[in-house]
Amino acid sequence: MTGILNKCPDRFVETEIDDEIVVMDLESGNFFSLKDTALDIWRLVDGTRSPADIAAELANDYDVAESELADDVAAFLDEALTAGLLEAR
Amino acid sequence: MTDASPLAHPAVAMLARETRLHEGVTPREIGSVTVPPGRHWLHEDSFLLVTESGLRFFYRRSEGVTIERPNGPTDPAEEYLWLNGSIYAAIACINGLYPIHASAVACGGQVFAFTGPSGAGKSTLVAQLTRHELPMFCDDTLVLDLSQPGQALCLPGHKRLKLWPDAVEMTGARPAEQVMASVPKFYSEPAGGTVVDVLPLAELCFLEEGDTARIEPLHGGEKLVRLQDDHYTTDLIMAASRPDRIARFAQLANLARTIRLTRFVRPRDASRFAVDAALVERHVKAMARPVSEQAQ
Repeated sequence: MTGILNKCPDRFVETEIDDEIVVMDLESGNFFSLKDTALDIWRLVDGTRSPADIAAELANDYDVAESELADDVAAFLDEALTAGLLEAR
Repeated sequence: MTDASPLAHPAVAMLARETRLHEGVTPREIGSVTVPPGRHWLHEDSFLLVTESGLRFFYRRSEGVTIERPNGPTDPAEEYLWLNGSIYAAIACINGLYPIHASAVACGGQVFAFTGPSGAGKSTLVAQLTRHELPMFCDDTLVLDLSQPGQALCLPGHKRLKLWPDAVEMTGARPAEQVMASVPKFYSEPAGGTVVDVLPLAELCFLEEGDTARIEPLHGGEKLVRLQDDHYTTDLIMAASRPDRIARFAQLANLARTIRLTRFVRPRDASRFAVDAALVERHVKAMARPVSEQAQ
């Protein structure tokens, strides 16, 4: 997975409840509840970062090796891309 | 001087006005849909319900409820049940209120509601709590006014408490008349009386079955999922307001942020009922105290 990631705001709505972001897919009505690492990844998707940039920034924030986070970041982004919530360009 | 009567609240006054009943002829169809016996249909500002027994109820906003009785004897008890059940909920929905399938008690000027599917134990738990200085607020349907952001106001209960015979026995309630011949439930006067004020909703508690009795808070996305999982009222709400997904999501999120959501898990064991209900009683009384006192 490469390219700059951006959200597809016409595909979802989101709201903050407690310490989670709840995203609803407008097409399916399915909810995605984002917390912890998933929430941090979601917040870093802003149209300026690639998956590698996101993994690097998170690794820096968490003070861990990038390799420790890479799989989790890739899995989350894959799921969000498949759901149509994100796009890569 | 302000009028402290619950009827002074605009939503309560509106419900009183809109639920007025008169006899007449009801339409055969609504929104081009013919409603067969045992079914109902909600279309725009109208609602038509036809019972298996041949009773027909038609509501249209600002016109009240028309009842059309079949030839021959009818059962007033059945009419009462429909008028205070599906019809009441439909009228609430059509007029922008938000009914949920819940029974509730009042404590400290707030409402604590219990929800779950039919048979989950909502009425039984409320009957037990009313024996411990927690007056009943409503049974089976709780109507919320969500028109003020950040506030869920509960409109006073309209239904009498109905209990199955085993619930009468477990709670020591005094049964009154049977609900109707074909429904072996009994009306019961709540031991702790009832509250008829408009009060804010403090907590909505989902009744669940499990090995050990406990009360747990719900959190984040689970709140939205559980609020979406309401029962017969959801279809009416959706039919009445036909909110798009964005509006429905915003409505649920607002409610999730406004009130505390919990689950009460307990074994369905009659021998443990009083002990487990006491857990809820303590919880309600503790949560109803001012925050400054809760911390002490």
